[in-house]
Amino acid sequence: MREKSSYLDKTLNSEREVIRNVVYSTDPADFSYMAANVPCQAACPAWTNVPAYIRCLYEGRFDRSYEINRIVNVLPGVLGRICSRPCETKCRHGERELGQPVNICHIKRAASDFKEPGHVYLEQLFAPLGKSVTVVGAGPAGLAAAHDLAVFGFDVELLEALETPGGMLAYGIPEFRLPRDVLKAEIDSILRLGVTLRTGVKVGEDVAVDELLKSRHAVLLAAGCYAARQLDVPGEDLPGVLSGLRFVMDVNSGRAPMLGKRVLVLGAGFTAFDCARLALRLGADDVAICIRGTEEDLRVTQDEIHEAKREGVHIRSLMVSTRIVGRDRVEGVEFLRTRIEGTRPDGRRKVVPVDGSDFCVPTDSVIVAVGQGPEPIPAPGEKDKRNVLKGDPTTFRTSVPNLYVAGDFMTGPTTVIESIAGGRRAAERIAEDLTGRKFREWAVRIHDTGVNDRQREWDFIPRQEMPTVLPAIERFQSPQPEVEIGYSPEPAHEESKRCYLCYLHYEIDIDACIYCRYCIDVAPRDCIKLVREVVLDESGAVKRLVETTAWEEVNAVVIDNERCIRCGACLRVCPVDCISVSKVELVQRALETGRE
Amino acid sequence: MAKDHVVIIGNGPAANEAAIALRERAPELRVTIVGREHVRQYKPHFLPALIAGKITEHDLFVRPIESYSQAGIKLRLGQEVVDVDFDTRRVILAHKEVLRFDGLIIATGGKPRIPEPFLVFQDVMMTLKTLADARVWIEKLARVDSVLIVGGDLTSVAFAKALVSMGKTVKLMVDEHGFWPLHLGDETRQEVAQRLASSGMELVACRKLKGLARVSADEIRVETDCGRYTVGAVGAFFGLVPDVKFLARSGLYIERGIIVDESLMTHYDGVYAAGDCAQVYHPALRDYWVSIGYRNAENLGRIAALNLIGGKVCAETPPESIFHVEGVKVPTSWWAEI
Repeated sequence: MREKSSYLDKTLNSEREVIRNVVYSTDPADFSYMAANVPCQAACPAWTNVPAYIRCLYEGRFDRSYEINRIVNVLPGVLGRICSRPCETKCRHGERELGQPVNICHIKRAASDFKEPGHVYLEQLFAPLGKSVTVVGAGPAGLAAAHDLAVFGFDVELLEALETPGGMLAYGIPEFRLPRDVLKAEIDSILRLGVTLRTGVKVGEDVAVDELLKSRHAVLLAAGCYAARQLDVPGEDLPGVLSGLRFVMDVNSGRAPMLGKRVLVLGAGFTAFDCARLALRLGADDVAICIRGTEEDLRVTQDEIHEAKREGVHIRSLMVSTRIVGRDRVEGVEFLRTRIEGTRPDGRRKVVPVDGSDFCVPTDSVIVAVGQGPEPIPAPGEKDKRNVLKGDPTTFRTSVPNLYVAGDFMTGPTTVIESIAGGRRAAERIAEDLTGRKFREWAVRIHDTGVNDRQREWDFIPRQEMPTVLPAIERFQSPQPEVEIGYSPEPAHEESKRCYLCYLHYEIDIDACIYCRYCIDVAPRDCIKLVREVVLDESGAVKRLVETTAWEEVNAVVIDNERCIRCGACLRVCPVDCISVSKVELVQRALETGRE
Repeated sequence: MAKDHVVIIGNGPAANEAAIALRERAPELRVTIVGREHVRQYKPHFLPALIAGKITEHDLFVRPIESYSQAGIKLRLGQEVVDVDFDTRRVILAHKEVLRFDGLIIATGGKPRIPEPFLVFQDVMMTLKTLADARVWIEKLARVDSVLIVGGDLTSVAFAKALVSMGKTVKLMVDEHGFWPLHLGDETRQEVAQRLASSGMELVACRKLKGLARVSADEIRVETDCGRYTVGAVGAFFGLVPDVKFLARSGLYIERGIIVDESLMTHYDGVYAAGDCAQVYHPALRDYWVSIGYRNAENLGRIAALNLIGGKVCAETPPESIFHVEGVKVPTSWWAEI
């Protein structure tokens, strides 16, 4: 971290008078520090301040815990149920020898569940601008963009082709995973900002993009991905072969198709799992998900795999479909065995078919859930090879002035939290383009704090698993319940204690250190180091510590914050009080009057 | 690999056979066996006889404890491996000790399989895989007279017979999970069931186990789709699954077992897997294969050891029909479940 005093005067605003010793830094070195040292927040596409909301939940401040989420994520109650949890894969508690990651997602849900009934989030609204924007698509990206544009002071119209808002959240995710009242409540909190929602309006058919561009200052297309991909194998057009996305949407719309008793689902993502679990709820007896690789290659959480198996879904690994067979309708699927053959350039494992290993699995129905892409919308501007409007991933601009694209419509299918983050960034860009002003900025907020009540034994609390409806057979009763019941307050509190609070920064004042090495003796792991040299990167952040075991070469005793688990043992044992703690948070703050 | 350290994870037939082969063929190596249980190698297929009182614990053990030190094999018992770092070639133990290795043979065997839908009843079900399990059964059977066996894998047949010989009432619920990993057709299943019934067991005809509830310490209420009854204990016998969960984040290729080539080597140099935890694609079978049984495990343990020290031995093709259930010949592979 940089010395605070060096830029304290030039970066502090009026908050200086309210909170002493608080610094907002936009120094690249501090952003680099955050990326390396608060890995959960860095991994979240929306940069949610994870340690802060977990700490609030620990303190019983449920409303505030929810609000910290809500600042960057317009749907905390929804994401607390269905997030893909990139934060948890980076959680330091999940490192080797440290145990399992904190159940961050379910703490988010607990904050939503335990907040005051009728809790209202107070938005930091800007004055009306007298400018109008139409957002096409009321899915996660469109909702997030509409919300932020309304906050900035735009007159926002939100167009949705389907009957209700929510996009894939409403039509692509089963109710047993996401109750619709939770979704509706959070969409309502967006609409109450004055966003005008018009459903059943298909842009390109009911209204042309050109017309919208004439009547509005800007148009943002965030229409999602509704074109299901195909396997491209013979027999895919046989009766009894269904598209996974269409299947889930039909079930969610109350038009469940007929299925046989034996169902094979081909695919490896959440849609494949949703299809399999829905098939069981529709009366199928024998449901299997067939995947090319192994369970490790699945693009779903471990909890999802566990719950699906609990309900009776089989996962058949190392097989790839080559043909769907049947006379008048599907009767089976021919597969080849596969084997893993190293790693692909993108880091995923390379899986190849094994020649001569063909076999056939009989079935009554096949559901193909191998992904989806955007459906082209008739519009002016440069298109890609699928005739979908092209957008710049940084500026969200198309080749047509004032026409923008965002979310899965621009990127192809991603996660809900990525869509929300993308929608917000698109809104910022539109606002800046239309006004020439900057409405908010990311900054690293630094302020001194003391050692807190976190105890070393909390590191050994087992991960609190989400309780679910059991036995699984009860999940199939009507009306079908939400499978995940939600934490009660006690396990939520226990789980919150497990967070290391990586936003705390421990630092040794070299000038005051007497090199007694007591701190090293009490450190629970190799987090305090005798170093010869501290190597900085281009931004000025610590890149590498050059350690030494030769005492005469030691130039400093340094806390390696990437190894530190914030136990506070060093601070407590230091005889000369040369170890300090500061709270370092990546926050997004409104620039009150907008900056030119 | 002179003076190199070979660590063997596991203490079953594959592990011990590997250690002996290494000791015989490469006496210069340091060999360490790390076993989770607190006892030296024993014959698990004799556990039903132990429970029936026909043999003593002493009869179970394969060799005297002194033989390990005499052979120069370091035996670490009661120590659990929780992770392996293949980049730094370190085995991490539950008590935070780290063992460095030059060669590694993973032979952790299998652990009792409970199908996910039945996990909710796990607390009231008993398994029989280890000596510790057998001791719990002995204690339980001193107090109860009736046992329900759910699943019905190969171990359960010997166990059920042991129970009958003790004068216990044995109910056998052979549902769709029965005799896993064997895939019995209706006709074969019926034939097997008839022979079991003639051995003194009571067959429970039902398709689904709907509930298990502990009424008291020695009384469990059973609910099936065909009725309710009460038994003293419930045994879960759904076969074994490779005991490799601790390697989930290690980078090894794992499907059900650790995927190895025909020489039993993983994709990490000098790292092998053998016995019930290894999974190999076998061209002759045109499918993946996991060995089942004591002798297969011994054989594979020896092959892994020989290949680790430079040999070029292929795992043998298993015979097409290796199991006889109550005199009925059943063709099988581990993958019959699917």
